[in-house]
Amino acid sequence: MALTGRLGLLALLGAFVPLLLPGWGTLLVVWGVLLLGVAVDLALAGNVRRLALHRAGDTNVRLGETATVSLVVENLGRRRVRARLRDAWPPSAAAAPRVTRIDVAAGERQRVVTTLTPTRRGDRRAVTVTIRSVGPLGLAARQLNRPAPWTLRVLPGFPSRRHLPGKLAKLRELTGRHVALIRGQGTEFDSLREYVDGDDVRSIDWRATARRADVVVRTWRPERDRRIYLVLDTGRTSAGRVGDIPRLDCSMDAALLLGALASRAGDRVDLLAYDRRVRARVEGVGGRGILSAMVQAMAPLEPELIESDAAGMVSTIMSRVRQRCLVVLLTELNPAAIEEGLLPLLPQLTARHLVMVAAVADPRVAEMARARGDLAAVYDAAAAERARADRRRLTAELRRYGVEVVDAAPDDLAPALADAYLALKAAGRL
Amino acid sequence: MTAPATSTSISTPDAGVPTAGQVAGRRWRASRGVVLTVLALVVLAVALASMQPSVGPRYLDPESPSQGGSRALAQILGQRGVPVRTVRDAREALSAARPDTVLVIVRTERLTDEELNALRAAPGDLLLVDPTQPALAALAPGVRPATGSFQEVAGPDCALDAAVRAGEVRFELSQLYLTPPGATRCYPSEGLPRLVQLPVGGRTVTVLGSGNPLTNDRLDEQGNAALAMNLAGARSSVVWLIPDLPEPGSTRARSWQDLVPLGVWLFVLQLAVAVVLVALWRMRRMGPVVAEALPVVVRSAETVEGRARLYRAHRARGSAAEALRAGARDRLVPLLGLPRGAAQDPSMAQEIVSAVARRTQWDERVIGGALYGPEPVDDVQLVGLTDFLDDLERQVRQS
Repeated sequence: MALTGRLGLLALLGAFVPLLLPGWGTLLVVWGVLLLGVAVDLALAGNVRRLALHRAGDTNVRLGETATVSLVVENLGRRRVRARLRDAWPPSAAAAPRVTRIDVAAGERQRVVTTLTPTRRGDRRAVTVTIRSVGPLGLAARQLNRPAPWTLRVLPGFPSRRHLPGKLAKLRELTGRHVALIRGQGTEFDSLREYVDGDDVRSIDWRATARRADVVVRTWRPERDRRIYLVLDTGRTSAGRVGDIPRLDCSMDAALLLGALASRAGDRVDLLAYDRRVRARVEGVGGRGILSAMVQAMAPLEPELIESDAAGMVSTIMSRVRQRCLVVLLTELNPAAIEEGLLPLLPQLTARHLVMVAAVADPRVAEMARARGDLAAVYDAAAAERARADRRRLTAELRRYGVEVVDAAPDDLAPALADAYLALKAAGRL
Repeated sequence: MTAPATSTSISTPDAGVPTAGQVAGRRWRASRGVVLTVLALVVLAVALASMQPSVGPRYLDPESPSQGGSRALAQILGQRGVPVRTVRDAREALSAARPDTVLVIVRTERLTDEELNALRAAPGDLLLVDPTQPALAALAPGVRPATGSFQEVAGPDCALDAAVRAGEVRFELSQLYLTPPGATRCYPSEGLPRLVQLPVGGRTVTVLGSGNPLTNDRLDEQGNAALAMNLAGARSSVVWLIPDLPEPGSTRARSWQDLVPLGVWLFVLQLAVAVVLVALWRMRRMGPVVAEALPVVVRSAETVEGRARLYRAHRARGSAAEALRAGARDRLVPLLGLPRGAAQDPSMAQEIVSAVARRTQWDERVIGGALYGPEPVDDVQLVGLTDFLDDLERQVRQS
C-alpha cells in the first residue's frame, strides 16, 4: 500500500474546514472522507498480482555503449491498471528512465523500454520491478515488487579495435597477399616458382634449377598455426588505476587486439586469467569465434585483491600447453612481485616457450618525472625517476632471460604488443 | 568582501572572476523575494498595530489627570458631597462596598472569574463601564453584547431619569446590548441600547457601553458630565474599582490556550495530520534500495607519490639526488654513444664525464660534481642540481 501526494493535499485543504465550522464533528467528517477515499482507492486499484511481466532485449553490450531492454506488462486481471513502474537495476547499469507510467486495460499489454549505459564491465542483473497501482481517485495505491529476471553482460570496450585494420595491413604485407613473395619476409618454405626479374638471386634454389631448364626460386611465407597463449594476471597489481581505468582493462584491450590479429594470421589463440586460481579460460576455440569467446570470458573478470601465485600460474601454463608457443603475460612490472614470484621460475618457462611480458606504464609517473619548479616537484621527480629506474632494471633482467618486454602507456600498449607480435612473426621466432 | 574580490580581479584580469558589484547584484537578485516579503510583513504588522484602538494604562483611573483618566469626575463628585474611594483590588472593593454606595467597575478585562463571582455578593448598586462578556454574565445576567456603534452622539430616548436629565451624550465608539425583558434601555441605536439598567437581586445594575463620557478629555462635552454624575452619584458615596493588572503567573485562569478558539485547534490538528500523510507519501519508496559491490579504486601511481612524500618528509636529499642523477645518466648514455649498462657502472664514470664535457660548455669538474657529486647540503642546492642536470641533458641533445 502507498499513499499519494493528492491525499496530503486533500488533508491540507480539509484543515480549513474546521476554521469555518468549528467542532470535533467537522474534523471527524473530514477524516471520514479521507479514509473513505483511501478505502475506495485500495479496493478499486488495478491488481498488480494479475500482471504478467515478459522481458526482451539485449543480453550483451560493449562497455560505453547503450543497450535497450524492454519489459512487456500484460494485464491478466479484470480491471484497468494505472500505475507507476520502476524497473530497478544496479546503479552502475545507469538505467533510464527510473520510473515510467503505465496504463494497461484489462487483457492488453504495454511495453516499457529501459535504456542502459553501463559504467563498468561485468554482469548486470535486473533486481526487481516495482509497480504502484493507483486507485481511481488517485488517493492511495497498491504497491508490489515483482521479479523479472534479466542479465545484461557488459563486455570489454575493446577501444583498440580501431588499430586492427592497420595491423592487419601489416600482416598482409608479411603473408604476401598483396606484395610479391620474397625472401626475408617469412621463414617457412612455401613453394618453388620460376624466376622473374627483380627476385633476389639469393633465393634461387640451385638444385631445382639444375633439374629443370628454368631458373627456379624458393618462396617463403610466415609461419602459420602457431600457438599464442595469453595470460591475464588478475592479482592485486591489476587493480591499480591508470587514469581512471584499471590495469586489468588495459591488459584486456591489448589481449583482444593481439587475439584478433593472431587469429587472422592463422595462429591459435588461448586465454588464461589467473591470480591464485584460474579465473577464466578460453582454449581450443578456432577462427572467428575466438574474439567473442575471449570477450565473453573477460566480461565478468574483476581484479582480486590478493598476491598472484606465479608458481601456480607457470605450472598451469606448463600443464596446458605441451608444444612450443608464445606465452604473452599481461601483468605489471612490479619489482617486488616479479622478482620474488616470476623471475625464479622463468628459466622453466623460457626453456620450452617464447615468453613476452606486457605491462601498462603509468603516464602519471612520466608526468611526475618531468615536474620541476619547487622542492615538492623535485622530490616528486626523484621518486618517479627511482620508480622508472626500478622498472628499467627489471626490464633488463627479464630480457636477460630472453623474455620480450612491452612496456607502454595505456593508449599505446595494444598497438605496441601487436607490433611486437608482428616483429616476432616476421623474424620467424614463433 | 571588496578587498579579495579586487585583488583577484587584478591578478587575473580576464573575464570569469566577478567584481564585488556583480556579486552584490547577484546576491540581491537571489534574495530580493525574501527581503521584500519580510518588508511587506513588517509594514502590515505596523499598520495593524496602529489601527488597533489603544487603551492607556491609566484609562478611567479616578486618580489620573491624563486625558484618558477620570480625576475630573471624581473631584466633581467629591465637591458635590459624594466621596469617591478608589480601590484597586476586588476584595478591597467587596469590603468597601455598603448598601448605600455605588460600585463603579471599570476595566473588567483585568478581573478573573473568581473575582467576578465574588463581586456578585457586593452590596449596593453597580455601574459597569464597557464590561467584558464574562463580567456581564456574572454581574448583569441576561445582558449580552451585540454589535458596536460608531454613531458618536445619541439621545436618551428612554424614561430613565438620569438619562433624560443629561440629554444628548457623546459616546463616540460604543458597545450595544441585547437585553432581557424588564430592563431599561437608553441611548439606542438601531434599536439596541448603549445604556442598560436592570434590577438584579434587589439592587440596580447599570451597564454603560462606553467609558468615554467619563474621561477627563470628554467630560465637558454634551451631557457627558451630567450622565456620569447622575449614574455614579446616585447614592451617598462611590467605590471606584479599577483592578490592577494581575501579577504574571499569579492566576492560571486565562492562559493563552484558553484564548485560542476551538476551530484553530482543530485546524492545527488537521494540519499535523496532513503533514503525517505527506510524510507517509514521501516515505514509501518505489521498491528497494539496490546495493552493488563496487570495485576497489586505487591509483596506480600511489606508491610513487607516497615515496615522494616520504622523501620530502625526511628531507632525503641524498636519495633524491641519487635518483635524479641516475635518471639523467640513463638518458645521457645513449646520446653519448656509450653502452646502456655504463650508466650505473662506477668504473665508467670518468668516461661519461669526459664525453659530456666534450659536448657542453662545462668543464669535467663541474659535470663530475653534478653527475656523481656529494649529497646536496640544502634544498636550494637540490633544486639547483635538478635544473643543472636538465641543462646538461638539453645541451648534449642539441650538440
